[in-house]
Order: sequence, then C-alpha cells, then structure tokens
Amino acid sequence: MSSEDSNPAATPTPGVDTQGDGRWMSLHNHFVSNSKDKEPDVLFVGDSLVQLLYQFEVWRDLFSPLHALNFGVGGDATQHVLWRLSNGELGHISPKVVVLWVGTNNHGHTAEQICGGIMAIVQLIKDKLPKAYTLVLGVLPRGKMPNPLRERNAQVNKLVQEAVSSLPHASLLNVDPGFVHSDGSISHQDLYDYLHLTPQGYQAVCQPLHAHLKGLLEKQAEN
Amino acid sequence: MTNIPRLTSAVASCLRIAISWMSGDEMNPAAVAQAVEDIQGDDRWMSQHTRFVQECKDAEPEVLFIGDSMVQLMQQYEIWRELFSPLHALNFGIGGDTTCNVLWRLQNGELDNIGPKVTVVWVGTNNHEHSAEQVAGGILAIAQLLTSRLPKTKVVVLGLLARGEWPNPLREKNVAVNSFLRSWLPRLGHTQFLDVGAGFVHSDETISTRDMFDFLHLTAAGYRAIAKPLIDLLLQILEGTPEEKRASLV
Repeated sequence: MSSEDSNPAATPTPGVDTQGDGRWMSLHNHFVSNSKDKEPDVLFVGDSLVQLLYQFEVWRDLFSPLHALNFGVGGDATQHVLWRLSNGELGHISPKVVVLWVGTNNHGHTAEQICGGIMAIVQLIKDKLPKAYTLVLGVLPRGKMPNPLRERNAQVNKLVQEAVSSLPHASLLNVDPGFVHSDGSISHQDLYDYLHLTPQGYQAVCQPLHAHLKGLLEKQAEN
Repeated sequence: MTNIPRLTSAVASCLRIAISWMSGDEMNPAAVAQAVEDIQGDDRWMSQHTRFVQECKDAEPEVLFIGDSMVQLMQQYEIWRELFSPLHALNFGIGGDTTCNVLWRLQNGELDNIGPKVTVVWVGTNNHEHSAEQVAGGILAIAQLLTSRLPKTKVVVLGLLARGEWPNPLREKNVAVNSFLRSWLPRLGHTQFLDVGAGFVHSDETISTRDMFDFLHLTAAGYRAIAKPLIDLLLQILEGTPEEKRASLV
C-alpha cells in the first residue's frame, strides 16, 4: 500500500475555488459550525451521492429519525473528505456511526490509491472518534454501458472489503441493488445521468442501508 | 464577413445575425457549438444526448426545457411531476453544460421531430471561460436557433441565479448577463426573458442552504419558489394562443 506521501488520494487536500464563488469552503465552514450545536448519532460524509440524499424525502423518512447529519460535498474525492474531517468537521460531535461514501470522483487515481484514500479516512475517524463505527458504502457502477470506471469502482470495493475485513470498527456495505441490467446497461430511472441517483434509485439503496444502520446502532448501544 | 456586398442596413444586419449563428460567430466563443469531451471515461454526456434524441422520436412535448443542471435537477423533485409533467414537458438538461454544449445538442438532433409550443432555456452559469457579454451572446444564439428551427415555439429565457454564499464576482457576472439579456431578447421575435431570482439573496447578502443546498443548486423549496412565476408564464403562453391574447403579453 502507498504511504500518505506518495498517494494523492490519501493526502488531505482542500477543494480549490476554481470557479470564483468560494462554495467549497462555505460548505465546509457550515459543516464545522453545524457540528457545534448538534448531537448526531449518525454522520454521513462523502461526495454528491451523500449530498443529494439530503434533498429528497427519503432522508426525512429514514435518516432524520436516526439523528443523522449530512456532510456531503458534490465533486469531493477521498483527499477532500480527508481534509474536511481533519479540519474541524469532527470537532464537536461524537456520532456512533459514520457512513462514508466517496471514491467515484478520484479521477486519475488507481483503484489501489483510492482504496488507500478510503482507508486513510477510516483511520482518521478511528483516531478522532475511538468509539465510532465506520460503515463504508461500496462505490456504485456508473456510465450507461460497461466502461473502465465501472471496473475501477468494482476493484476499489474489492480492495476496501479486504482491507476492512480484519478491523472491528469498520466494514464495507455493498449498496448496489443490481443497477446493472443483464445487457450491461444502467437505466436513467435509477441514475438520471448514469452517475447520480434518482429518488427511486435512492429508495433501492437506502432501504437496506437503513436496516443495516439500525442494526449497527442497536449493537453500539449494547457496548 | 468582409465579402458581404453593401445592402440596405436592415437586410445586412439580418444576414449578419444569420451568418453569426450559422458559422458560430468567431468573435464569440460562447456561441460556438461544442460537444463535451469524455474526459472521465464513462461517456455519460453522449449517453444523455443520445437518450434525448431518442425521446424526440417518441414524444410530442408541448413544453421543452433545455439547459444545464438547473434544468436537469428540477426533474428529480416532486415539483416536476406536480406542475410540469401535466404540461407534457420534456427535460433536456445536462449538468455542467455551457451555452456551447446546448447549441451543439440542439444542432445535433434534440430538436428533430418535435414542435413544442414553448421552449424554456436555462443555461450560462457554467460558462467560466467567457465574459458576461459573451455568455449573453451565447444564450441569444440559442434563442435565435430555436425560433428559426421551431417557428411555432415561444422561447422563455430564464435569468441566471445568484450563486455563492457571499457576494462574489460570479454573482456580478450573472447579473450582467441578465442585464444584457433583458435588452437584447425583446428584439428577437417570440422570445422573452423571465427573472426568477428574486428573494434568494437576503438582506445580509447571503444565500441560504435552504434555497440552494450548495449555494448553486436549488433545493425542493428553491424550485418551488421559481416554479410559481414560471408556471404562470407557461400557462399564459399555452392558453393564450389567439392573436388578441398574444398582443396583451409584454
């Protein structure tokens, strides 16, 4: 495995304001101040797949009742999430479970590097929140038809699964309900742009996730 | 352009407009049709375009929405099913699109076999390489293309929204784009400008995540706010087809 220095996916890196409106930092600052007066049991952190989840009914139905916070930022890769969590977003909260969903935006990185980035985040969470359980969600397939990114994402999931298998405080959950059809295609009814989930897509992902989360929270309560 | 003979000024300016949109005005890069390159490796932009071209073969929309993620995301919220589906609306939004990308899509099949009564255009906030004037020129080129390809359509151009949590250069740029559009669009026939941005910037100059969850994209509540003036205008246009009613619209 690459060390932090040689793995860009595992080197904390803030988002760059290329567009000129400072939105990435605004969101980060919001999350830091949000964490000051909330007491979440569950923290969702990651990219647009996390961020968009908050916008749909499914969040209110399934995750608000679990006292969940959402720290998703569209476009984030592992190194951005690593930076955010290292710079205040875990400052004032002690969730029982952290749901981590990131990796699909790590363009230019190999599956090994992306796995290294995810594992660096898992380690950081363990360091900052020793009692928390980290649930890593598998990276979803993308693109209408088979393509190299699907292979990369599948490989990431395989490597992460192996890496967490020996850890008592983390696991990988595959949340793909079978988005890829027998002809290799993905439907826009599930992923409206072959990357982002529709409300229907979220339902299919979140029902099992919710059940799994509830199980984890109950187990954490027993400890 | 230098070979145009001296004609009357009215004919010359019509020709200039026609030539500038046909050739992709070299003076304005925002009016040059351009497909999105597949840099990431999963060809999603082309897949979405191909799907829209197919939808043109199957559907008979009364309303066509075209633009960037502001258009695309709208279809994922309840409001689309409540207010816009009943109008037989098609949604050809693609996240990240600039005026150049929309122009390319419209020239490459997304207007084939359809005759919507209204086309709603919402694009321009992603044109990061271009000046406000160029962006407005790109939007104008889109409106010109629509009115010439779909002679029966009325074009509604939505103003660009403010963005960013605090005042910043992109807010100023989008305001400038809207300002150009306000003065240029009425000169095109069958086209109007609708500003749906009122109320998003609060008195302390901030934008709230309740309206734009990332200070750019709208929440369900944000879409509800813009839907009101938009649906009113669409219904006005769809219901008021006789000449007398049309004359009463600004």
